[in-house]
Amino acid sequence: MADRRRINGPGGTTLPPLYDDDPLPRPTRSREPNGVRPVYLKTGVTPSASGSAYLEVESRNGAPTTGMKLSCTVHGPRSLPRSAPFSPHMVLTTHVKYAPFATKSRRGYLRDASERDLSTHLETALRGVLIADRWPKSGVDVVVTIIEGEEARQFAVDQGSEEWDMMNVLSACITVAAAAVADAGIDCVDTVSGGVAALVSMSGDGKSEIVLDPVATEHDEILAACCVAYLPSRDEITNLWLKGEVSSSDPSLYRTLIARAVHASKGTSQAIVGSLNEAVTGA
Amino acid sequence: MATTHTLLSPAELNYLHTSLSLRPPIRSDGRLPTQFRPLTAETGILQGTNGSACVTFSDGAEAIVGVKAEIEKTPDAQSGDEDKGKKARGDWVEISVEIPSQRDDDAGTIFLGEMLREALLGDGEFAKKLWINRRFHWRLHIDILLLSPALSYPLPLLSLTTHLALLATRLPKLKSEGDEDPMFDDDWESSVFVYPREGASEGTRPPITLLVVTVGDNVIFDPSKEELAVAETALAVSVAEVRREKSRGEMEVDTKGRELKLLSIRTIDPPSRLTPPGVPNGTATATDGKPASNLASETPVAGVWKAPLGGTKFSVVDGIVQAVLEKGGVADEVLDGLDGVELA
Repeated sequence: MADRRRINGPGGTTLPPLYDDDPLPRPTRSREPNGVRPVYLKTGVTPSASGSAYLEVESRNGAPTTGMKLSCTVHGPRSLPRSAPFSPHMVLTTHVKYAPFATKSRRGYLRDASERDLSTHLETALRGVLIADRWPKSGVDVVVTIIEGEEARQFAVDQGSEEWDMMNVLSACITVAAAAVADAGIDCVDTVSGGVAALVSMSGDGKSEIVLDPVATEHDEILAACCVAYLPSRDEITNLWLKGEVSSSDPSLYRTLIARAVHASKGTSQAIVGSLNEAVTGA
Repeated sequence: MATTHTLLSPAELNYLHTSLSLRPPIRSDGRLPTQFRPLTAETGILQGTNGSACVTFSDGAEAIVGVKAEIEKTPDAQSGDEDKGKKARGDWVEISVEIPSQRDDDAGTIFLGEMLREALLGDGEFAKKLWINRRFHWRLHIDILLLSPALSYPLPLLSLTTHLALLATRLPKLKSEGDEDPMFDDDWESSVFVYPREGASEGTRPPITLLVVTVGDNVIFDPSKEELAVAETALAVSVAEVRREKSRGEMEVDTKGRELKLLSIRTIDPPSRLTPPGVPNGTATATDGKPASNLASETPVAGVWKAPLGGTKFSVVDGIVQAVLEKGGVADEVLDGLDGVELA
C-alpha cells in the first residue's frame, strides 16, 4: 500500500548504463534438470539476535545472473507487551523485506504487497513447525532481509519474470528462517526447508520439461511453478504454493510438480543439517 | 488470518472435531461435506462500472465487486518486436480488497488479493484480453468490498463475486484499426463482453477459488468459521473452466462435466493452530508432581483438544485437489449455479 502520510518521489528504476555494441549472451541453464544450485548457509551471524542465519545461493563464475543473498534474524521468544491479549501459544510474526538495493527497481522502505505476501507464506510455513504451546504468553519475531535478489542485471527491459522469482525467494526465505529458528533454540518438530520446481517450455521444440530450482532468465518461458516447505523426517508439507498453467491434458502433472519440488527441498535440507552440525561441533 | 480468533473452548473444539471426523462427517449446520452455503447473486448493480456483482451468502456475508477499466499507454512500445504479437503484462490488472475492521495493508488482506490475482492471471490468457494495440492497453481495476463483518474466511465469497463481476464486464467496442489512437463506439449497447457469452465462447472462463479443509480423513468444502477452527489443513484451490470449440458432430454429446483447469494452490494457515489446548483430567499439575511443561506436548489424549502440529501429507493434498477437479464435483456444481445468474 502506498505511503499516504509523506510526499514520496516517484518510484523509478535505477539501471546501470548499457551499451548497445556488446550484447551479453542470454544465460542458459547448464545444470541438469534435477540439479539444485549449491548454497552456503551459516548460522549465528548476528550476535545481538537470539538466532540468526545467512544464506547465499551461488551463481556460477562469470554468470550474468546474480545469486541470492539473504539474512534472517530471530528475536525472542520474549514476553508479550502488557497490552497484548493472552495467548496460549507463542505468537509468531514474520517480516520479509527486500533491501532497497536488492533488485533492479528500487524497493521503498515500506513493505510492498509482494513482500507482505511473502511474509504470510513464510508464516504459514513456520507455524506448522514450531511447537508453539511450550511458550505461552510469549512472542517471537522472524525478520528476513533479502540483501540481493535474483535478477539478471544486463536486461534493460524487465521481462515480467519477477513473479516467478518470488517462488525462489520464498524457498530461500523458508530455508534461512528454519536455520535461524533452530539457532535460536526454539523447539520444532523438524527443520523445514524450501524447494522449487517449475514446468518450463523448451526453446527448440514446443515440449515442456520439469526442472528443479529454476532461474527465470535461463528459460524461455515458465509455464507453472511450485514452491513447497517440506519436513523431511515427517514427510509432510507445511506450505504449498503452486501457480501457472498446469495443463489440463495431463491431470497428474501437478502431482509430479509437487513431488519434484519436494525433491528439491530435500537437497536444501541437507545444507541446513550440515550448517547446524557445524555450529554444534564448533568446527 | 491470525485476526479471526474464535471464542471456542477446548471442549467445544473437540466436540466439533470429533463430529467432523466421523464418516460421513456431521457438520454443525447440517450440510453435506461438499455442499456450499446457499447464496443470492446479482450482477450489474453499479451504474458507474464496466461490470459489477453482488453476492450474499445465507449467513449474511455480503460482498460487492466493481470492475473499472481505463486506457493506458503501453510503455516502451518498440517497433522492433513485431514478432512477439500480443505481449501482455500481468500488472495491467489491479485488485484491491477491502475488509471492514482490517487495515488495507494487513498481510491477510494482501494475501487474499494476491491469491485472487494469481488465479486470474494464472494461464496468461486474461491479460491478452486487455491488449488494444501495440501502443495502448486497458488497465483493469477490480475493487472487492466485503460489506458484512468477516464471519468466516471470506475467500470463497470474494472469489465467486469477482467471477460474476468479470463475466458481466463489458468494454466499449473498438472502432479504430491497427496502431492508431484508439477510438471507441459511444453506444454502450454495442459494447463487448470481456468473456464472450454463449456461442462463440472458447477459452478459459474466469476462475473460482474454493476453500477446502480436511478434518481427520474428511475433505470438507466451504467451511464455516467453526469448522475452520478445527481444520488440520486448509487449501485454497483455484480452478477455471476451459471451453473448447465443439465440432458439429459433438453437439448432441452429453454436456455434463466441464473441463476444469487447475490454476493455483495455496496453503492457508488454519486458525486451529492458534486455539487453546485442553488439559487431560489426570494431568492437572496440582494433583501430579511433574512440572507442567513435561506434560504439555505429550502424545494426545483421546477426547482432549490439542492444536494440530506439523504439516500435511502429500496424499491429503492430492485427495483435496482430486476432489476439486472431479467431474461433476463441487466446482461443477458451483459453476452451474453461477451460470444461472442473469448477466445484466
